[in-house]
Amino acid sequence: MSRLPVAERHTVRRALRDLIGRHRRAVGVVLVLHSAAAVAGLAPPWLLGTIVDRVTAGASVATVDRLALAIGGCVLVSALLSRYAQYAGHRFGERAVAELREEFVARTLGLPVSVVERAGSGDLATRSSVDVSTVGTTVRDVVPTIVIASVQLTLLFGAVFLLHPLLGLAALAGLPSILAVTRWYLRRASSAYLTEGAAAAELTETLTTTAEGARTVEALRLADDRIQHGTTRIARVWRARRATLALRTVFFSVVEASYPLPIAIVLLVGGYLLSRDMVSLGAVIAAALYLQQAIEPLDRLLQWTEQAQRGLASFARVLGVGLVPPEPPGTTAESRGERLVVRQARFAYAGGHDVLHGIDLEVRPGERLAVVGPSGAGKSTLARLLAGIDAPRRGVVSIGGCPVTDLDPAERRRRIALVTQEHHVFIGSVRDNLAFAAPDATDEQMRSALATVGADWYADLPDGLDTALGDGARQLGAAEAQQLALARLVLADPHTLILDEATAALDPTTARRTERALAAVLVGRTVIAIAHRLNTAHDADRVAVLADGRITEIGSHDDLVAAGGAYAALWHSWHAHAHADERPR
Amino acid sequence: MRYLWWLVRRQPWRVLRGSLIGTAWMVGLSLRPYLIARAVDDGLRGRDTRALALWVGAIVVAGAGLSYLGIMRHRTMTFIREDAKARSAAVVLRQVSRVGAVLPRRAAAGEVATIGGSDIDWSAQVLTLTGPGVGAVVAYAIIAVLLWSISPMLALCVLVGVPAVALVVGPLLRRLERAESVYRKQQGALTARSGDIVAGLRVLAGVGGRDLFARRYAARSQDLLAEGYRVGAVNSWIDAATVAIPGLFLAAVVWLTARMAVTGDVTIGELVAVYGYVATLIVPVWFLLEGSYQLIRGRVAARRIVALLNLSPDDVGGPGRRGPNAVPDARRPDVGAAPDGPADLHDPATGLTVRAGRLTGVAADDPAAALALADRLGRYVASDCTWGGTPLTGIALDEIRARILVADHDSYLFAGTLRDILLPRPEAHDDARPEAHDDRIHAALRAASAEDVVDALPAGLDTVIDARARSLSGGQRQRVRLARALLAEPQVLILVDPTSAVDAHTEARIAERLRAARAGLTTVVLATSPLLLSRADVVAHLAEGRIVATGTHPDLLDEDPGYRHLVARDSDPAVERSAVAEGVHP
Repeated sequence: MSRLPVAERHTVRRALRDLIGRHRRAVGVVLVLHSAAAVAGLAPPWLLGTIVDRVTAGASVATVDRLALAIGGCVLVSALLSRYAQYAGHRFGERAVAELREEFVARTLGLPVSVVERAGSGDLATRSSVDVSTVGTTVRDVVPTIVIASVQLTLLFGAVFLLHPLLGLAALAGLPSILAVTRWYLRRASSAYLTEGAAAAELTETLTTTAEGARTVEALRLADDRIQHGTTRIARVWRARRATLALRTVFFSVVEASYPLPIAIVLLVGGYLLSRDMVSLGAVIAAALYLQQAIEPLDRLLQWTEQAQRGLASFARVLGVGLVPPEPPGTTAESRGERLVVRQARFAYAGGHDVLHGIDLEVRPGERLAVVGPSGAGKSTLARLLAGIDAPRRGVVSIGGCPVTDLDPAERRRRIALVTQEHHVFIGSVRDNLAFAAPDATDEQMRSALATVGADWYADLPDGLDTALGDGARQLGAAEAQQLALARLVLADPHTLILDEATAALDPTTARRTERALAAVLVGRTVIAIAHRLNTAHDADRVAVLADGRITEIGSHDDLVAAGGAYAALWHSWHAHAHADERPR
Repeated sequence: MRYLWWLVRRQPWRVLRGSLIGTAWMVGLSLRPYLIARAVDDGLRGRDTRALALWVGAIVVAGAGLSYLGIMRHRTMTFIREDAKARSAAVVLRQVSRVGAVLPRRAAAGEVATIGGSDIDWSAQVLTLTGPGVGAVVAYAIIAVLLWSISPMLALCVLVGVPAVALVVGPLLRRLERAESVYRKQQGALTARSGDIVAGLRVLAGVGGRDLFARRYAARSQDLLAEGYRVGAVNSWIDAATVAIPGLFLAAVVWLTARMAVTGDVTIGELVAVYGYVATLIVPVWFLLEGSYQLIRGRVAARRIVALLNLSPDDVGGPGRRGPNAVPDARRPDVGAAPDGPADLHDPATGLTVRAGRLTGVAADDPAAALALADRLGRYVASDCTWGGTPLTGIALDEIRARILVADHDSYLFAGTLRDILLPRPEAHDDARPEAHDDRIHAALRAASAEDVVDALPAGLDTVIDARARSLSGGQRQRVRLARALLAEPQVLILVDPTSAVDAHTEARIAERLRAARAGLTTVVLATSPLLLSRADVVAHLAEGRIVATGTHPDLLDEDPGYRHLVARDSDPAVERSAVAEGVHP
């Protein structure tokens, strides 16, 4: 499996610059408002210092009243400003997140299927859920918190400088130990927390799957095995949590022990300056209070930095999806005719040896061809080549004289549809699930398509075409889901259908119902059926037997039975009763 | 509540330590304002350098001490919570492993996921109350005493005011959380949509419609954006209020104190200290408020855990399990009721008799009837089935599970290496050498015609497969299940539709090899495939709930038209034929 790429650091940096550049004004407004709010927030300690000075100087009650009122006023102004700052920041965050996620989905939809399959859909699923929402939280919550905390800290330390430059320098002298331990912590934290999260998720998964498979646990007497398995998971969670705790122990104890340092140094230096009458008592008190006040934003900044780091890592993975070249638009949209021709096609999956060795095949329009053969013979690979999902390594697969992979993907899908045993009901209404195959279809056409495939359950739906399907709404059974997929095909109306074991994953009863529905769809189309039941082969116009990546036999059912080869042997064993030529009714 | 108390009682010393350290830490928090006040009063105002140095030194030492207490509190409380989580996880794990087939019917898997994912954490969170919770009360009392010594009037204002502010702000924050949770829910739905698109990508590649999905997603995303704006507008006001209300309260206290300073009732240092105390008092009050919410949530969570723990296994009649710790032993001498060796199974409900040591095929016209039959023969329900003449309900259930295996066609595949999936309990076999295990596994894979499944995996038997083996195809999964059932080597193996998802070539091979693999052992195959049934020693036709015919496959084909109709076609021939007839023919 070749994994999806992850963006390099400079790509991430450029993307961030672009993002801020696009929202230049919003970012500017947010910064200005937050700074103003923080300035207003600086006033109370300064005013308290002033009160101290005035009281020491023997001020009147009226002066104190005025100053106290000013403190209250500053609190209100600061709260108002920070409200608007926050709102502006929030809007910026929302917009940026919306842009990112929409772009991600657009990119995802443009990915060539072969790339997704090779990387495993799990990776992409994680990026679409975990990483996109991590980036979302980061942009929406973490970045504003960090911006606010940084602005506040800058201003608080700036204020101490304003009170007296030497006090400012003294305040900064308390910071090196905090910076050092933060660096140390950040280098280790992300991976430790990711390990912890993964261990916890594994434990939950163990509990959930054990519950889901409870009957199997009982049947195969796996209880002790499951308990042992779960116990090791619990131990792993415990270990992971101890590891993060150890990191926090070092980090927090150093950081917290460091918080009083700037205050202590400022008081000492303040005492010295005071003795020289270079500052007022009020100024020293204000400086000490500013630094006391700085602890909270500093704490916030440190705690969220780790999150921000994780956000960046997720961002790199989200951007990585955009690095995959999208599916090429195809060189021709035109092709004449519907004749599928395969000439000397060879194919190998990345890094492997050939699974198809020079296939020659011609499918006439309207013909029904069955492809049979043992597992691993290359049937599904052939289906993918015919549908244009993969291109042959050598040789050519063409339709109407034009290589299928040169067709515009949209056009190709309109002409050739591949139906596999995988069916997927999209979250949304029944209409949503049908319309994407044929955007212009009317409700009437949709209803008749459902009727064509025998989806009689449709009549029971409370809201008809508007009934919501999927997660938390109405769940379709396997057969119903496959019927829905078939109705989609009726609407899409491709001239060629490739069925790759379309009913194999269903239980026999369901398969029977689905095959009945399928029959309705096949009418009037070229059909290539990868057959799993021999009756499908029996009823086809021609049968191709695939073995070890080669077509070993091809011809009508009767011809092949008469030829007495491998197909005939299989047919007889399947028929295994006295009169092989007597057709069962 | 009893459950939560149990979690506390399991670790009394640790909890006691947590309470002590939590208290010391909380009390310590109020020390810094006091020390700063003394440094201001004695050192700065008194222009006394030695006193200043002394108090500043005290601030640094107290800071270090406080950081030590803080981290010890965090460590102890983390251990208390982790201990509770591990303990809860262990009891839940035992329960879900032991309770058996009843579970999927009585509790949705989602429920267990909620318990594992959050309820265990929530109930452990409550234990935080034992440390800082106790500490908060003590700290509150100490600050009260300190304030009282400055001015009783101020003390009253602060002690009543801070909790009042907390009570005003607390609910506001809850509202914030609720507004957020609506947003998060919508966000979750949008995430589900993008996950949905990823999961359906291959379908979209097959029939098209990508643009439509991109547009639809963008529309939803814009809806969320609008909701985000709305939430942001409200939340930013709430946020501002939660900052402004304590700020205004602080201003009021400063004002009062400053007036008292003017009249000389308090010193300047005390003025600064009061300012500090008000800020410090927020911490314990906040802890208590948080703690009460945690208690409410934790109790709900604990109740869900207890409900799961109280689930009891299905009633399948007769003697049940021998208790959670019993080691199943097939050959215990005291279980006299079970047949000693191979014996015939009989199901009076349908009239089916399964001969010991033979391969019996059962072709049922109704798949539901076949499943019900398997449930009866495997005693997943109470029934009148007998085994060697003894009622199944009279035999210890462990013994039945050890000797009779019902292999469902959708039996669960757990995550793990393929080797672990196939042979989960290698120690249960006589020959415990690893090579012997591998030989056994390869033999079973061959019988299930599943060698190609292993060959296609990057690390062969050591490849890790995810739960439900989603990365395998339907046919591959089915063959892995079959191999696993064969490896369990039960005396009686009941296979439900073992080959419905494999192609005819493979099915033919499996039918041949299954017979050899189970030679001399009792095997029942519930299926309608002629390839399988033709290999059975004897075939029974189950129609409308009764066995209507018994004989070899060719016999039944000749004599029983219903059987012929049932098995000759796995799918409906008439429909297939008509489809071709209507198709374009040359």
